[in-house]
Amino acid sequence: MDIALALTIGITAFTGLGGIALLAGDRHARLTGRALEAGLLACLGLAIAALAQLISAGPATTELLVWQHLGLSVRLDAVSLPVTILVAFVGWVVLRYSRTYLGDEPRRALFKAWLSFTLASVLLFALSGNLLQLVLFWIATSLCLHKLLLFYPDRAAARRAAHKKYITARIADGALVGSAILLFWAYGTGDIATILDAARGGESGAAIRFAVFGLALAAVIKSAQFPLHGWLTEVMEAPTPVSALLHAGVINAGGFLLIRFADVLLLSPAIMAGLVMIGGFTAVFGGLVMLTQPAVKTSLAWSTVAQMGFMIMQCGLALFPLAMLHIIAHSLYKAHSFLASGGAVDRIAALRRPGPVAIPGAKAVTGAFLAALAIYVAIGFAFRFQDSSPQSIALGAILIFGIAYLLAQGLAGAAPVPLMRRMVAYSLAASLGYFALHHLADALLLGPLPATPAPGPLEWVLMILAVVSFGLVAVAQSMFPLWAYHPAAAGLRVHLSNGLYANALFDRMLGGWTLKRSR
Amino acid sequence: MTQNTLTHSELTVAEIAPFADAAVRAIPPVWPLASSVAVNPYLGQAGLDLATTAALLARVSDAPATMARGWYRERIGNGSITDGDLAAALAACTLSPCPASVAELKLAAQRPVVRKDPLPTIADLAARVSGIDWPAIIAERMGHWIAGWSDEGQALWAAPQGKSAFRAWQDVATHDLTPEIAGLKGFARFVADAPDSAGDALAASAARLGLPGSAMPTYFHALLMTLGGWAQVGRYRLWQAELAGQQDSTLTDLLAIRLMWEDALLAQYRGPILEAWQDVVATHSAPVAPDADQIIDAILQEAAERAGQRAIGETLAAGSKAATARQPALQAAFCIDVRSEVFRRSLEALDPEIQTLGFAGFFGLGASHRRFASDVREHRLPVLLNPKLTTCSGGVELEDVDRAARYRSRAKRAWGRFKLAAVSSFAFVEAAGPVYLGKLIRDTFALKKTSLPNDPMPRPDPALSLADKVDAATAVLRAMSLTKDFAPLVLLVGHGANVVNNPHASGLHCGACGGYSGEVNARLLASLLNDPAVRGGLAGNGIIVPATTLFLAGLHDTTTDDVLIYDGDHPSPAHAIAIDQARGWLASAGLVARGERALRLPRAANASDVAKRSRDWAEIRPEWALAGCKAFIAAPRYRTSGKSLEGRAFLHDYQWQQDEGFGVLELIMTAPVVVASWISLQYYGSSVAPHVFGGGNKLIHNVTGGIGVVEGNGGMLRAGLPLQSVHDGNDLVHEPLRLSVCIEAPVEAMTAIIEKHEGVRALFDNRWLHLFALNDQGELAWRYIGNLQWERVDGHGQAMIERNLAA
Repeated sequence: MDIALALTIGITAFTGLGGIALLAGDRHARLTGRALEAGLLACLGLAIAALAQLISAGPATTELLVWQHLGLSVRLDAVSLPVTILVAFVGWVVLRYSRTYLGDEPRRALFKAWLSFTLASVLLFALSGNLLQLVLFWIATSLCLHKLLLFYPDRAAARRAAHKKYITARIADGALVGSAILLFWAYGTGDIATILDAARGGESGAAIRFAVFGLALAAVIKSAQFPLHGWLTEVMEAPTPVSALLHAGVINAGGFLLIRFADVLLLSPAIMAGLVMIGGFTAVFGGLVMLTQPAVKTSLAWSTVAQMGFMIMQCGLALFPLAMLHIIAHSLYKAHSFLASGGAVDRIAALRRPGPVAIPGAKAVTGAFLAALAIYVAIGFAFRFQDSSPQSIALGAILIFGIAYLLAQGLAGAAPVPLMRRMVAYSLAASLGYFALHHLADALLLGPLPATPAPGPLEWVLMILAVVSFGLVAVAQSMFPLWAYHPAAAGLRVHLSNGLYANALFDRMLGGWTLKRSR
Repeated sequence: MTQNTLTHSELTVAEIAPFADAAVRAIPPVWPLASSVAVNPYLGQAGLDLATTAALLARVSDAPATMARGWYRERIGNGSITDGDLAAALAACTLSPCPASVAELKLAAQRPVVRKDPLPTIADLAARVSGIDWPAIIAERMGHWIAGWSDEGQALWAAPQGKSAFRAWQDVATHDLTPEIAGLKGFARFVADAPDSAGDALAASAARLGLPGSAMPTYFHALLMTLGGWAQVGRYRLWQAELAGQQDSTLTDLLAIRLMWEDALLAQYRGPILEAWQDVVATHSAPVAPDADQIIDAILQEAAERAGQRAIGETLAAGSKAATARQPALQAAFCIDVRSEVFRRSLEALDPEIQTLGFAGFFGLGASHRRFASDVREHRLPVLLNPKLTTCSGGVELEDVDRAARYRSRAKRAWGRFKLAAVSSFAFVEAAGPVYLGKLIRDTFALKKTSLPNDPMPRPDPALSLADKVDAATAVLRAMSLTKDFAPLVLLVGHGANVVNNPHASGLHCGACGGYSGEVNARLLASLLNDPAVRGGLAGNGIIVPATTLFLAGLHDTTTDDVLIYDGDHPSPAHAIAIDQARGWLASAGLVARGERALRLPRAANASDVAKRSRDWAEIRPEWALAGCKAFIAAPRYRTSGKSLEGRAFLHDYQWQQDEGFGVLELIMTAPVVVASWISLQYYGSSVAPHVFGGGNKLIHNVTGGIGVVEGNGGMLRAGLPLQSVHDGNDLVHEPLRLSVCIEAPVEAMTAIIEKHEGVRALFDNRWLHLFALNDQGELAWRYIGNLQWERVDGHGQAMIERNLAA
């Protein structure tokens, strides 16, 4: 049997099992829960088999139900399969976790059913070969997730957050539907592969530019970019597995959309530049806000905002393989972090035991940045710097600033030599890991994904701006305790800890604090 | 000139201070989760009886003080509460109006009670007229600020501490635009213009609110209750400061801040709410008195407790073995914790040569301990006390290992900062994100082995003088009633839980050890008692420990019922066979105990399922801890041995005949009994008022600042036991009964101790604890009925003769 068909049947059966779980109720939740886990595991297996076929036979679209170039079809290629495998794996981990976590919780069958429906929607979204299917499951994912976010409907905070999410998601839906219509109109087909082929080397036009704008807007909203990030930082109102799924599976829809339509996106450099600006700002903003958050899940949510910003910036810089790598790596990290967030008490208690943190001075920070740059140049040449695009080199520089922070902690005056040695080893390992993964992503995905075009003047300005601003933040971060507790920084900390009030204003607009008229 | 003016009865700062202080002391403390212990949520109401407490709590919060009527109705219906219990509880009622007869009481139990809303705050009144959820906004804002201010290390950019809580808040609130965005006009300006001291601000706001002194106690109490667990954090700071002989104003600061919100809201909504506010003030000024329903609830609760006492009485009355005169082969002292009871019973059943004892798990050695490769001092002792000695793990010979371990932790910490910091977090994800694939698989299958704490041997630092050692050893052995008939091997077994990914892990550890596992104190005592010089000193004090006796420390893992023996501390080839035999016995006992516990645990079919729970990162009910506790028995073990107390009783060994001057009795009644009351009442409060005194829903817990949990996004800290610790998804697993303390000792001696200790007396007089004296057959014989009076009871706890038989 065709593997694409098998995968579709697998996901459909999994959805069916979800329906049975819903009907069978809590009394049979143990059995239906196991069935769902097995079902998703089977889907994961099929997706891996499809990957094998992709490697041997190349990408393919299988039409399931298509009329007038619109309908349902499965696309198996280097963009859809990694995300499908990722979501199926994380989804299985989350289902397995929920088996115990919600083992005695009333309405657990309902929970798992909607978890499964959400997962099935994400999988079918990722596998979409046709615009209609893409739009349908984009919307379905959001609606299913809404059910999970309201698992405790009596909680006012849950309702407030879900409402906010609902409103923003509908704006994103509108944007995506609009651009799908435009794409269909411009290319005369809903088949995504055909559209991408036509776009690759094709001409741009007003309709296409508007379509790209719609895609970008939908992606920016789904990725919780400033100033519409408020919905993401407040959805810890549902059981932890929902947060894990949201932050490791659902949140990727925006980035996936941009990568899926990379060829179309390249037709509008101006919108790409806009993505660099929004993503870059959100990355820095989210990263700074995260530093001030005292609650572990809230901190993780802000981290997601920042990481998605970085990924959007990578898309804007046309570094699509790296964006894909970022999505996968971040999802694995964030799923684990949420599921393990109960360990925060132990982790924080352990922080103080070995003694005070050695704070690097200006000299150590300078040394660390120079050393990090040296590592960059050395490893860079080993990985053939000269063949890389300027965008990729700029991004590498930004990441190496992060390594510098690691080094700075080892070079701090108060740090003993054995600690310094360890930190240098960590820095080298991190740099190597980072370059190896980049190289791997490029090797696997360039081809299916378009290469980075040569930067124009606007791109150069943005790149320099990004490198400088990330660099400044990295230096500020390294010298953190030296300035952050200065009275002059107190006001800044208050504003940042409140996310620059974007969310408060949004609440005000939506009447988030309005009491229900029940009295 | 408005027609609505508030009557101004301005009080000075000094006049208000006592009211604020009283409100502060009405709030129970909460310990940070890294070392959390059970706290009696009714600590501030110890001087009130249950019905009056119910009336007070109904005014200041929506916390009921008893179960819903249906709970009692069900028990009356199925006969577990008998007419006799009802009659006895009714007879013990001293309040009015009291039902005239048992029939009337039963009729009342059939009636559902509609609980009244608590008295509104100004925020509630403002919400009603504006449609803006001001109480929720205040909760969110206060939570946002206090969480940052009391953060122990989650945020890399911590909030400034300020000169005081009040000043720190002022600095934040003058910058924060959120209240004004939400609709509270000019709040930052209002805060900026407020006085610099919390006391002045409190007085100024109280004057503007027209608050007379008579309304302050319960109004202030109500405001603090709106802060939930954050108020309890403030109370904890005061507790710790007073224990160290210092002062702390955090909670009065929080009160002033909360009052300023009220003040600002009244200014904004003055017209429409003033009249309602004046009514609220008038009601707060009235004294607190229970209504008929609250009295009936309290009587029904008392009846449920008397039903429970009948069961205890029956267990105690069942024939018990006489004290075995035989020399035991193994003695094992466990913590009084109810979880030890199951294990001790299983262990003793294996061989008549095994004898177990019960004693407070810190073994009388209150240590301020530094664990291996750590700078942090951990107070491993009951939170009521100050540490008596300082200790650390590992000596100078391990300095290199210590340093290397520190480097490892520091490197790990630096990597953790790399993971979280701005900019570097992106590098982290792209360099190391895929590693988490392995971690997800590892943790899903619980492949990571967990281990019990096994630091190098702890030692006092500075070392103790011989005289101090001998004094300590003598006191502990006497308090354990272990002064003769030593077995060749004596185990001192502390306890600790073994769980992963659980913010409330420390709550499963040993409460007597300050929320840490108990092995450090046990190992310290074993070292003390094995010291030949100390043995010499003990002999001088009349306690002869045979040279062939070896003391070894152990740790009872309450999650898996394994016991780790620290035999490396005191290598003794002569005891190798005895130790092997003990290990075998402990393993067998563990199997039996696991089997018994599996019956109670959800999703555990058999003993082997129990052990797996300790490693499962998704498990929120790894063990039931002390759920179900209902009795505290201080008597020789042979009174209870061979009888199942279902893991619901604290067992303290005590032989009054050996207790000259009743010093040990005094110690038991003022320390372990009080600690047990905190545990029992924490379970009680978390069961009857889970939304106020419970720790909330574990499924949506969000650890904040490393010190506590909030539900969901933020807001109020949740102190107390999580819902999942007292509830199995269908029903409560903890039967909320206040503890019955049963002591085999002369009533005169107990009366004298109660009379001497006011705090203990309040607990017994107001029946936060029930007290029974056992007779020389180990049966219930006397019930303490308050006011230093006792009544004669039969073995089932039922009154036999007319009361007022003064002891």
